[in-house]
Amino acid sequence: MSAPLSLGIDIGGTFTDLVIHDPRTGRAVIWKESTTPDDPARGALLGTQRVLEKAGVKPEQVGRVVHATTLFTNALIERKGARTGLLTTAGFADALEIARERKYELYDLFIEMPKPLVPRPWRREARERLAADGSVEVPLDVDAALREVAELVEQGIESLAICFLHSYANPAHERAIGAAVAERFQNLSISLSCDVAPEIREYQRASTTVANAYIRPLAEVYLERLEHALSSSGIPGGLFLMLSNGGLTHVSEAKRTPVQLLESGPAAGALAGAWFGRNAGLQRVLAFDMGGTTAKLALVDDGEPLVAYGFEAAREKRFLRGSGLPIMIATVELIEIGAGGGSIARRSDLGTLQVGPESSGAQPGPACYGRGGTEATVTDADLALGYLNADFFLGGAMKIDRAATEAALGGLAVALDVERDRAGFGVHDVVNENMAGAARVAIAERGRIPAEYALLATGGAGPVHAWNVARKLGVTRVVCPPGAGAGSTIGMLMAPARVDRVASFSTALAGADFDRAEAVFAAQEKESLEVLRPTGADASGRVVRRLADMRYIGQGSEVTVAMPSPLTEASVRTAFEAAYKALFARTPPGAAIQFVALRLSVSAPMPGAGGKLELLRHPSSQALKGIRPVFFADAGKMLPTNVYDRYALEAGVTVQGPAVFEEDESTFIVGPGATARLLPDGSILAEVV
Amino acid sequence: MSRTFDAIELELLWRRLISLVDEAAAAMVRTSFSTLVRESYDFSCVVTDASGQSLVQASESIPSFIGTLPETVKHFLHFFPPDQLAPGDVLITNDIWLGTGHLPDVTLAKPIFRGGKLIAFSATTAHAPDIGGKIRSPEPREVFEEGLQIPPMKMIAAGKTDETLVAIIRKNVRTPDQIMGDLYAQIVALDLMEDRLLVLMENYGLPDLTDLAREIQGRCETAMRAAIRELPDGTYHSELKTDGIMETPITLKLKLTIRGDEIEMDFAGTDAQVDRAINCALCYTNAMAMYGVKVCTSPNLPNNEGAWRPITLKAPPGCIVNPQFPAPGGSRMLIGHYVPMLVFGCLGQIVPERVMAACGSPMWGMNQSGVRDDGKGGGRPYANMFFYNGGMGGNTQRDGVTCLSWPSNVSSTSIEISEHIAPLRFHHKKLRPDSGGPGRHRGGLGQEILIESRSDTPIAVSFLAERTIFPAFGIEGGRDGAPGELKINGVKTDPKKQYVLNKGDTVSLGTPGGGGHGDPRQRDPAARAADLTAGYVTDATVYRG
Repeated sequence: MSAPLSLGIDIGGTFTDLVIHDPRTGRAVIWKESTTPDDPARGALLGTQRVLEKAGVKPEQVGRVVHATTLFTNALIERKGARTGLLTTAGFADALEIARERKYELYDLFIEMPKPLVPRPWRREARERLAADGSVEVPLDVDAALREVAELVEQGIESLAICFLHSYANPAHERAIGAAVAERFQNLSISLSCDVAPEIREYQRASTTVANAYIRPLAEVYLERLEHALSSSGIPGGLFLMLSNGGLTHVSEAKRTPVQLLESGPAAGALAGAWFGRNAGLQRVLAFDMGGTTAKLALVDDGEPLVAYGFEAAREKRFLRGSGLPIMIATVELIEIGAGGGSIARRSDLGTLQVGPESSGAQPGPACYGRGGTEATVTDADLALGYLNADFFLGGAMKIDRAATEAALGGLAVALDVERDRAGFGVHDVVNENMAGAARVAIAERGRIPAEYALLATGGAGPVHAWNVARKLGVTRVVCPPGAGAGSTIGMLMAPARVDRVASFSTALAGADFDRAEAVFAAQEKESLEVLRPTGADASGRVVRRLADMRYIGQGSEVTVAMPSPLTEASVRTAFEAAYKALFARTPPGAAIQFVALRLSVSAPMPGAGGKLELLRHPSSQALKGIRPVFFADAGKMLPTNVYDRYALEAGVTVQGPAVFEEDESTFIVGPGATARLLPDGSILAEVV
Repeated sequence: MSRTFDAIELELLWRRLISLVDEAAAAMVRTSFSTLVRESYDFSCVVTDASGQSLVQASESIPSFIGTLPETVKHFLHFFPPDQLAPGDVLITNDIWLGTGHLPDVTLAKPIFRGGKLIAFSATTAHAPDIGGKIRSPEPREVFEEGLQIPPMKMIAAGKTDETLVAIIRKNVRTPDQIMGDLYAQIVALDLMEDRLLVLMENYGLPDLTDLAREIQGRCETAMRAAIRELPDGTYHSELKTDGIMETPITLKLKLTIRGDEIEMDFAGTDAQVDRAINCALCYTNAMAMYGVKVCTSPNLPNNEGAWRPITLKAPPGCIVNPQFPAPGGSRMLIGHYVPMLVFGCLGQIVPERVMAACGSPMWGMNQSGVRDDGKGGGRPYANMFFYNGGMGGNTQRDGVTCLSWPSNVSSTSIEISEHIAPLRFHHKKLRPDSGGPGRHRGGLGQEILIESRSDTPIAVSFLAERTIFPAFGIEGGRDGAPGELKINGVKTDPKKQYVLNKGDTVSLGTPGGGGHGDPRQRDPAARAADLTAGYVTDATVYRG
């Protein structure tokens, strides 16, 4: 059998996570390599060598490589993309700069809005005009437009975005000028809005297209280099990229619209949550990842992460909605909160205990790191409460300064005028409330209730906080997968290939032309399968989702509805009303319904994306490492608590809470009243019985 | 026996309160028909205690609603004392003096009971898609022309909807399904706040909100007093002129007195109310003045009753910032948006680093209405409002932002959407070069929009347009921004009147630029060069003396 192994590479800001996985046995080996920001491919290759060595396998055995990276997101944040030009319809070159005209912060007179990726001199106009229905009002003047582009090329632009008004309804003008430019300027990278984001709203569409153009030359060079380097290192398998939508694609599609890769890392994390959730037999999962500075939440319904059709990149203020560049692509829906192990606890101006969003970062880090941090952080509180083990921090790799933690918490207690022990649990409890609050809003926005969900905890701090966050939400089940630190990489290995397509379909439901809708879906499916084919995915096992963005006429935001088959006015109305009620409890009386766009997604299983996973374990009778005092709120005091080495636990073993499960990357805490069971894939499922 | 809360408990309770109003706000945004609600957060959700004193307000509510909603709840209590309220009641009004100063803002409130005792109100105000009457313009001379007035009454009494009221509302508005849909969106929000609040009180064993309200409001009051105490005592005056009703500019005057930890604002000397819909009811004046003070003194303080206790405001009855019945107020922001600037005029004398030069606000807008041929010999009435913004003023730290809504937060409608919903053709929407006031930090640019009617039937248009006579002024040596400009078929026009567009007629709106901050001769050479390269400035001589 040739090359059956899969290799996952996830390049993050600090670490590059690697996993080698054998889909037949489920055996997986994890490696962490430092990221090399000057040339991220170098770190990836170094890590590849190391993980292969650790697993004792040869490069020839690797059948495929799946990859996620924050490289393109960072290029947007740091404004280190290509010199990019923009060609628009005459009269509208400034739309990119005028943007939405709305503030993201009401009380800041010194507000700064994100600067457009294309400065004004590089935004040029073409004589052409379409009406809202796509009909031509002013024919395209190709020669004049080419002269504008020629000037931009002389000024050194490397990449060009083209976004004409109403091109979502008729792409002809964009395609015509795109072809003419491509013929004349063969080294210029070109991104058309009708390809990248064919959706109504000129600013959002232009913003997405420009972002694509801005990172595209970088993506082309990087992906070619990585592909080449992997094959010259002896790996025969193909390279696949993780998309923001939670699926995989091949290199040439990734090069064409790299903007689809922006959220690849977080998407992989959500996917891992979905996968472990499914394995534990859970249909609805709230994937909860808590690291050093942020916590991320993703909802998984019926085993699939929820997908949204737009997000913001490169925000001016990380946690403020509206402060970034709108990117209209399918992306796993994530809520990001300024809550992590490094979040700093302080007395607020109003005299209450405030935790985060400010973080101590890696330097100086929490007080207990002993690197000069004097302010109490969440990690310090977790240490004081017995949740973390001072002698086994990062598997014992890090020395902990307990005295510094005591001093920091003591100072905080004085500032707050409370007992020191109260301050410690207060920090833990407040950060949990912040995360639970965000989760409540996110779940309510979808018309669901938290009790329907199980919490799936990953990240260094996630398993430490999950049990208590779950109690706040009224959630009774918490899952902690193994290797919490490498969760996203594992998610990629399990990912299907996926293609998302959208087309404008603006018509009232009453009297809609359903033959045309069927034709649009058929064309989308055909195109998607063409994109899918080179991935080698098993098209016979494909899942096709036909969706429509719909609303009541007069509303401005749409609900995405799964389309029934066959399409009839009555069946679509029923589907829309059901989806609307699930979200908003009731439908307005007498209102007419309209379509806005049709969406299609195809996903198909990847060969080698196995359903089995087994991380290196060494079951033994010595799983119980000891007993230490741990604080539990329901007891109101420290309780002597059993501490287990989770990798020494046998599958099927049941443990009564309170209990602590330690692994190198994290610690899973379950409270009194919990029953925890070790599942075959190494996850621990804790339930309140 | 009163209960006290330590720093941790209080934070946890406060967080829960914020998250429950934000949850209600999220539900409203998703269910509302009104573009202003959805895209501009032109609404508010609050929880008050049993006396109508607010505890918490939704995070993204625009400044127009600072303090208005709890006041409306207090008015409700005057009409319906606690013994006349029952579980399941929902109160409604859009009275402009009891509400927010104009009829489209409809306020609903729900009394919340625990153990048979009234303990709180959940309340929301939202900008309805239509309220009948003349389309929104400065033209109405009395409130009666502006649409349907709903006095404080029970829309729902103990769970039973008043169908008579509903029928009257439906008959008086252009888009009844949308209006009722939005009222139900508000009711969803009220119910949600009630539900979450009762769960919270159960979890924490709170019999009522008295102790929690005292603590939360008290802390905000203390913080606001501390911020005011830092300011030097004294009396400061400022004055502004607005376009008013063109032939008669309007003068606004403010005397702001700081005494210890209190501020008093007095609008004596301000011009009288007018028989046009630009009068600014005291509730709106108050919200805008509070915003002006807050943004300079304690921008991060949560909005609740305590924050504005140390601040008092008075304005002589009958002046344009305290108009009396039956003065119309549909376009109240044409006066109201100047009020924070008036506050900056006073506070800038003592804390110049905390204010900015004048903005190209009040916001601009074009309202169109007409009748579309329905192809069956009849017509379908429609009305749309499109908003556009000018530039912000320069400040001590940087240039003013170009084309940004302030002090409100209303986004502009996409051209593609506009052309879908209205028989209009947009020719351009572009920056106005040289419109930002020169300065060490330049004012933000305004924009120019050229719109042509493509409708076979006439379109009635009216405008929100200000600063066409008096530009946004510069401060600290900065120069004025360019004034706004409204043209119909290329001819400068009185923006306070209503017009009819026939097919092929054009409207050009030029929004004002912001004022500059500091002497333009001190502008950084790199910033000058960037201005010229980008074409934000076309004439380099503005940097000379």
